[in-house]
Amino acid sequence: MEMYSQAAWLIPLFPLAAFLVLTALGRSFRRAGVLIGTLGSLAAFVLSLFIVIDRLDANTVDYNYAFDWMKIGDYTLRIGFEVTNLTAMMLVVVTLVSFLVNVYSAGYMKNDERITVFYGYVSLFTFSMLGLVLSDNLLSLYIFWELVGVCSFLLVGFWYAKPKARAAAKKAFIVTRIGDAGLLLGILLLFWYMPGHALDFTTIQSVFDGQSGAITTGITTLIALLIFLGAVGKSGQFPLHVWLPDAMEGPTPISALIHAATMVAAGVFLIARTYDIFQDSAAAMETVAYIGGFTAIFAATIALAQNDIKRILAYSTVSQLGYMMMALGLGSLTGGVFHLFTHAFFKALLFLGAGSIIHAVHTQNIHEMGGLGAKMKVTAWTFAIGALALSGIPPLSGFWSKDMILTAAFETNPLLFFVGLAAAFCTALYMSRLFFLVFTGKPGAASSGAQESPVTMTLPLVVLAVPAVAAGFVETPWNGWFGSWLSGEAEAAHGSGVAIVASIAVGLLGIYVGWLVYGKGSVSRTALADRVPWLVKLLERSYYVDELYAVFVVKPLKLLGAILIVIDEYVIGGLVRLTGIATVSAGRLAARLQNGQVQTYSLAAVIGFVIIVIALVGRRFLP
Amino acid sequence: MYEGVSFIPMTWTDMLYLAPELSLAVIFLLLIVLDLFLPKRVSRLSIGWLTFAGLLVSLGLVIWRIADMNQAGAEAEAIHLLSNSYRIDDFGSLLKIVFLTGTALIVLLGLGSVREDEAITDKGEFFYLLLPAVIGAMILSSSGNLITLYIGLELLSLTSYVLVGMRRKSSLSAEAAFKYLVTGGISSAFVLFGMSYIYGVTGSVDLAVIAAALPGAIVNFKALVYVGYFFMLAGFGIKIAAAPFHAWAPDVYQGAPSPVSAFLAVIAKGAALAVLFRVTFNTLLIAANGGDATVSDDIFFALLVLAAAAMLAGTATALRQKNAKRLLALSGVANAGYMLVPIGISITVVHSSNFSEFVYYLVAYLFMTVGAFAVLTVVSRAAGHEELKAFSGMYYRAPWTAAAMVVFVLSLAGLPVSGGFFGKLFILLGAANAKAYWLVAIIVVSSVISYYFYFGLVRQMFMRSGSDDRELRVSGAAGVVIWLCAIVTIALGLFPGPLMSGIDAVFSIRYDLLFG
Repeated sequence: MEMYSQAAWLIPLFPLAAFLVLTALGRSFRRAGVLIGTLGSLAAFVLSLFIVIDRLDANTVDYNYAFDWMKIGDYTLRIGFEVTNLTAMMLVVVTLVSFLVNVYSAGYMKNDERITVFYGYVSLFTFSMLGLVLSDNLLSLYIFWELVGVCSFLLVGFWYAKPKARAAAKKAFIVTRIGDAGLLLGILLLFWYMPGHALDFTTIQSVFDGQSGAITTGITTLIALLIFLGAVGKSGQFPLHVWLPDAMEGPTPISALIHAATMVAAGVFLIARTYDIFQDSAAAMETVAYIGGFTAIFAATIALAQNDIKRILAYSTVSQLGYMMMALGLGSLTGGVFHLFTHAFFKALLFLGAGSIIHAVHTQNIHEMGGLGAKMKVTAWTFAIGALALSGIPPLSGFWSKDMILTAAFETNPLLFFVGLAAAFCTALYMSRLFFLVFTGKPGAASSGAQESPVTMTLPLVVLAVPAVAAGFVETPWNGWFGSWLSGEAEAAHGSGVAIVASIAVGLLGIYVGWLVYGKGSVSRTALADRVPWLVKLLERSYYVDELYAVFVVKPLKLLGAILIVIDEYVIGGLVRLTGIATVSAGRLAARLQNGQVQTYSLAAVIGFVIIVIALVGRRFLP
Repeated sequence: MYEGVSFIPMTWTDMLYLAPELSLAVIFLLLIVLDLFLPKRVSRLSIGWLTFAGLLVSLGLVIWRIADMNQAGAEAEAIHLLSNSYRIDDFGSLLKIVFLTGTALIVLLGLGSVREDEAITDKGEFFYLLLPAVIGAMILSSSGNLITLYIGLELLSLTSYVLVGMRRKSSLSAEAAFKYLVTGGISSAFVLFGMSYIYGVTGSVDLAVIAAALPGAIVNFKALVYVGYFFMLAGFGIKIAAAPFHAWAPDVYQGAPSPVSAFLAVIAKGAALAVLFRVTFNTLLIAANGGDATVSDDIFFALLVLAAAAMLAGTATALRQKNAKRLLALSGVANAGYMLVPIGISITVVHSSNFSEFVYYLVAYLFMTVGAFAVLTVVSRAAGHEELKAFSGMYYRAPWTAAAMVVFVLSLAGLPVSGGFFGKLFILLGAANAKAYWLVAIIVVSSVISYYFYFGLVRQMFMRSGSDDRELRVSGAAGVVIWLCAIVTIALGLFPGPLMSGIDAVFSIRYDLLFG
């Protein structure tokens, strides 16, 4: 029955093969490169689709294949892959977005000299991400986790001639490393405490789900928090969110693929995959919920004051990831994963739309745009769909998933419910601000020569618009199919009228306010900035988090580094030099033996022999 | 058993057990005749291919033997021929597989390089002389008494002397052959001298009888037992090029044709190590059970001292080496040290997987060394010399070959992902299990020192632009050897499990090494 699931290991191999071929070909075959990259992701997508269709049946069982990788003493390390409904869903999301980004980049990156390199990196990323999704244990997941990080680094810094891109790539890498270190520690702790040192998800589930008491609550909380730290880094949660807006220096298709739909969602995926650990620790769950909720509102307010189209979307991503975390922390696994699912589509759509705009006007400042709606009809319409889905307007996909999260919050934690509502209002507001400034009104400074992008770029927009509209219907208040498919049992919290009404109301209100200010113009745009300039300034500078880091983390670390350099240079370096000199002189002495005289060689052998005999045997015959 | 029977003549069934060795001998004789009668203008490469085919046949026969003997699991009784002077067991068979595979690869490498080497006048001989050499190695790994052992040793050595001097038009080659002959003679003298003492105190050349008589001999003739074993140790120490008996190796490797250097580095060394393994374990472990363990402890400890000296001397001398072939020779010295470790740590209650560690490393060492020598032949032919400079800018001239060389260097340095990494790791863990922590420290230190010169090689390939920027031409046969070795080296680094469990599945220390 799960015929296709057994072949799931093939999926990552398609993009890997594409990567290898692209690397071997070098830069010369530009068109072939595009074709190979696209075909690799298409093949992966088709197979993933088959797997999901295969698994739609309610009675599917998880498919797991693992083999003994190595044996050290009594410990056997098994690695393999696993297809569950959650991973199957992720497979489709990753491969679909990857495929569309491949198509899109054919237009967007057309004139870039290193387009084949770009496609190679994208293929490598897709491979790593799929490997991460398919991993059946934490160890190989961690390896792929690092690999996607490397790909993100390579792609953010793809235009390495730009100093800002270089700095952003470095920042993305270093900041996420903090989270990765936490994750590694978590895995090591888990390895230490798990019965039989097992790291595969099935065993983890049975150990934590069974309440066997094999691991104490304190340790469970610690492990969960460390894993969460990894997720915080990867998914851009406060306080490690600072790398994600800067990562927008990378090519826009990359922002859509890595920094909106797939890699940044890996943190959410990781928590969903190890959910049993979290469910065992109330403290960890609360931490996840509050960090998520705070990130949601925190990033949404920053997005209100940004002027760079991609940075707005980046903060929006941070905020939406916060929603997902909040849902997971509130115990709604389905809510978090469902929002991941819908968000992947509409946020990828928005980023690709933004790319289409940037491609046309060659600026990212929304104040220089304006009036683009008439010139770029496809982009405008699809962007509107994405924006409405993000703002949570029914019946678009974002509404259903956001509503599910808000309902969960409404029933368990009123404080987070209001935080969520406020964030939803901000979301609707900044999206309407963005939309009206870019597509309506008088043409801005940069939009004079703008025209619609080529079909390779608009086609993915249209394709993505479909799930952005319709993907939400898999789980509605009266239809719990997605939840029961995902976890085997439907989640109880359904259909709270208050939450629905409130969520629609704040969404519409946000759009209305946005329209009043930026569309109709009945309220002055600078009204707020005139009255409370410090607040606007605070938001524009993203609450000065980067500056705070610079003063409290980077500067002290640099000072420490300077001190360490001195120690390293004179104390450790001295020792190293001494060792080096000693070794080299030993080598010189030994080389002196090699004088080419066979008599010397034999003499040395005999002398050595005599020494060994006297030293080892002589002691036995001493009186 | 054979005890009490003075001599059992060979039967036809026994001949069947000897089929791998005998088939090689027959092919060897046929090739001599063929070489005589073949007209001069006919290329001698055909003889090379026939040698290759013969090796494969023999390899098949060994594999068949091992499969046949282990149908009922690893604990199959060994087969004794000629009053235990020759024994067919999984210890010998596994090593024969290694030797035959290695020799086959070396013949293949020779097929790629000998044709263009004008210093080699007798190209036919070059190939078929490898056959008696490998027969010698096989006899060594299968011998059950000291006489057979010595015959195997001499067969291997005498043919190797000739092979080293095969480049008749090169004075370097003649010098190498002479040096090897002299040193080899000393080695044989040491071994024979030691053996005669063992015979003197135990009254037998049969390893099993020696083992039984040794406890008594230790009580009565302690000093003479020491003399016997230490002289044998020194003799074999010369053969495996362990310090301080290693000084001949760089000169000889440098003068010999590269495939022959690879043969000396892998097969000759492996066979001598195997015989050390067999002799010490077979005789001393049992003696240690019988009472006074100080003698056997001292001898095993001496092996560890040799190991440590080889590792340190090999790596330290290599630091200042400018010639790639001498570098590989010194790397072989250090590697002999690593392979002595599983022998020298002996068996303890907590640790008895010595043989698996030994064979795993030998296999990894075989592929990385032959691979490195193969790349060296390609590079040195293009450059006309064997200095390290010849590698400079190789990445730009032959990126894939350079990549393969990186794999070999990583493996030699013992870094992941490569067979050398796991080989070294298993040996390291074995030493740690046996609580020989000082040896663990030396393994680590020598590995770290070795990074310096191994990465010097990598630096040459990637960061220096050479004077020569023509594309490097890799002949078909050499290319096959390089890639086969690279793939196996990586495969061993990715999946160490199958080989380890494969060895465990057929090898039982009780039946295949100690008794039975």
